[in-house]
Amino acid sequence: MDGHPLHTAPFIFPNDAHPAWSIMIVLYPYITGMVAGAFVVSSMYHVFHREALKPVAKLAVVTSLCFCACATLPLLLHLHQPQRALNVMVTPSPSSAMAGFGFIYSGYMLLLLVDVWLMFRPAIVARARSLTGRWGQLYRVLALGVLDISPGAAAIDQRLISALSVLGIPVACVLHGYVGFLFGAIKANPWWSTSLMPVIFLSSAIVSGIAVVILVYLFLCRWSGIEAEPECMRALSRLLWMFLILAVAFEGVELLHIAYEQEAEWHVIRELLGSKLRFSYGIVQILIGSLIPLLILPLPAFSHRLAARCRDSWSGVAAVLVLFQVLAMRWNVVVGGQLFSKSFRGFVDYPLTWWGREGLIAAAVVLAMPLVLLFGAMKILPVWPPGIDDHEGTIQ
Amino acid sequence: MFDVAEESRRSFLKHATTVTIGAFSLTILPSTLAEDEPQVTKPGQLPILGNPPAAGHGASPKPVYGFLIDTTRCTGAGKCLTACRVENKVPEGQSRTWVERYAHLKDGSVKVDLVPETGYAGSEIPPLDADDVLRAYFVPKLCNQCVEAPCNQVCPVHASIKSPEGIELIDTDRCIGCGYCVQACPYGIRFMNQDTGVADKCNWCYHRIMRNEQPACVEACPTGARVFGRLDDPESELAKRLATVPTEVLKQHLGTIPLTRYIGLCDEVT
Amino acid sequence: MSTLRDSRHLWLLAGLLGAAALGMMLLRTVLMPATYGIQGPYRAEALAEIAAQPSLFPADATCHQCHEKVRHERDGTLHEAVRCAHCHGLAVDHVAKARLAAADPSVPIPPAAEWDGNFLTRIDLYLTKDRSTCLSCHEQVVGMPADFKKIDPAVHLEEQGASEPTSRETCFECHGGHDTAP
Repeated sequence: MDGHPLHTAPFIFPNDAHPAWSIMIVLYPYITGMVAGAFVVSSMYHVFHREALKPVAKLAVVTSLCFCACATLPLLLHLHQPQRALNVMVTPSPSSAMAGFGFIYSGYMLLLLVDVWLMFRPAIVARARSLTGRWGQLYRVLALGVLDISPGAAAIDQRLISALSVLGIPVACVLHGYVGFLFGAIKANPWWSTSLMPVIFLSSAIVSGIAVVILVYLFLCRWSGIEAEPECMRALSRLLWMFLILAVAFEGVELLHIAYEQEAEWHVIRELLGSKLRFSYGIVQILIGSLIPLLILPLPAFSHRLAARCRDSWSGVAAVLVLFQVLAMRWNVVVGGQLFSKSFRGFVDYPLTWWGREGLIAAAVVLAMPLVLLFGAMKILPVWPPGIDDHEGTIQ
Repeated sequence: MFDVAEESRRSFLKHATTVTIGAFSLTILPSTLAEDEPQVTKPGQLPILGNPPAAGHGASPKPVYGFLIDTTRCTGAGKCLTACRVENKVPEGQSRTWVERYAHLKDGSVKVDLVPETGYAGSEIPPLDADDVLRAYFVPKLCNQCVEAPCNQVCPVHASIKSPEGIELIDTDRCIGCGYCVQACPYGIRFMNQDTGVADKCNWCYHRIMRNEQPACVEACPTGARVFGRLDDPESELAKRLATVPTEVLKQHLGTIPLTRYIGLCDEVT
Repeated sequence: MSTLRDSRHLWLLAGLLGAAALGMMLLRTVLMPATYGIQGPYRAEALAEIAAQPSLFPADATCHQCHEKVRHERDGTLHEAVRCAHCHGLAVDHVAKARLAAADPSVPIPPAAEWDGNFLTRIDLYLTKDRSTCLSCHEQVVGMPADFKKIDPAVHLEEQGASEPTSRETCFECHGGHDTAP
């Protein structure tokens, strides 16, 4: 390691040669982030009454639920003793940042389930009444046997949906801010230990959630041969642009701060950024994932003259790049923090395998699972196309 | 030193008798106490271990343990390393303890190497030309048994145990293998044991010190570079040496308050 | 009354969730380890389990119980602080069997083997009259304390007027074994 007069030859602590956290721990905040982000999109409509987002409001909540349902998957794949996972709720340690996960996660999952259930209750009840056989049975169970919706009941449900959407925003922030805190609270690791970590994770979470909603929406529009609502796409692009600015600003401030203060471990981090993370940080996270989307997003976000196809393409490309940015950011934090030894005198290699519980194939399956679930959800609930449920049930 | 240890071992067994008689059946006792050899503790006696006798039993107060590493005495022969690996069945490639060599070179740089576990004959420590070296010394590493242990703090399931004696232990039956403690230890002491799939770490040979034996690495050190003992016993070698020489701890700025203290530590040791 | 009727799906849901919560709490009591929390926030039995791990590295006193003859051979020599196990291996199996044999003389005690030169696997008992045993500590390495006896084997042999070691036991020829002389 050059650049520091004290250090001539690398030295790593023997146990640091094998990083304890695999690619699954990269995916865990990635997926949880999308949960929080997609929910924010839905709340923009339900709480802040951004009417333009109506076409994606329900889609966003269901997307959020599908990602949430898969959020524990990478963790279970990572745990060396997954059969003991419930210990985290049986004997949780109040001093551990990780122990909160079981409760925060369950709470959020419950909130999403109830939210989605209430939103789709008219459709569920209508189908429970009209369908027979196994499908009818399924919907009658989903309706909890209550097969009518009075105007009074509909009003109560609407109030509850609003309340849950309001409540969901802070809970989503806690869920993901907490994930950032997991890393930020590790004083042993100078690349993680910063109070900005929760904010950084939260803002990039929202960014990734919006990007996912954009892509799912565009895909479904293309699939059903309908045109994406111009106002909706503009609103989503604006939202994405705004939160991307925030995320990049926080990440930039953080890096600038470490670099400028040049504390004792800065020479390791400088070396890390210049060598091992040169591609994933410099090229993917900053250049491709942040700068390019920041530059192209104003086009679909603000221009009214752009052709629909052109606008959607710009938004879609930006959303894809942003998803890479967030994935790279998770990678750079989780993996980057394990690439140097706590001796601060040497770097370690990060093993990536194709096969196995924590291999790349398993990671790809984990990433695909929420989308498979979304497909399943669309079979059961009228998530798509937007507005279809308005003709079912008794609401409106 | 040896006599003191013998003495306190006997008194330990005496407490064991008193308390065990109070709490458990008599049947297991005679065989346990008859032999002079250190015994594997029988299940019936177990609960006394984390629960030192109360003063009312005429017992000594709760022991305060400490560990001293004298870098001026370590020859880097690595006898402690083999002892630890065998004693605690540590898998190859992972370590509860290791020894580093720091060399101040005449060009102003510092070179750090890992001491081989096999002793020097037939194995390699990267050779240094004595003419290039201003000063070189060996630094054994082991668990610091931090009073404010970050590893214990982050364990989500209370599988990390701070024993009543202040020793940081792992409940291998509760550990979920998340690896958070491995990340949280600033000293790189913890690891995910590749054989057992749970976290592992140096525990100062808890099983040995509970029998008033020395930790395996201390027992194995021929030069007195590793000293374990009771801080609250003025007659212990540990207390005597700590009383005469200034000592330091590793990464003091992190506020973990390590119990493992070092003689001759320089600031380049991380 | 109509509010109650309008919200009966919510009451049902609340009941369902309540039942689920109750089930979780029940599950928690079932999964709770018996001795958890009686001493501190951990499974108290764990301490005893860890403490029950056998001591393997043999103290010299263990060896001397049977090998009475050598008990005082190193007294007053430079190697007084060297443990039997350093040169002869940790003799894990040997000691375990010897303990069994004390009660049941029919248990065979594995004898010392010829040493294969591998320090890492030295958990058995070995005859180690081998120069590499000596060199494993005394071969000169940068960093050793100034007052520690260390040699550069090549230089040392030359001083003694030999070009290479006369045998595996070459060190012992001049310096002795248990009664090591400088």
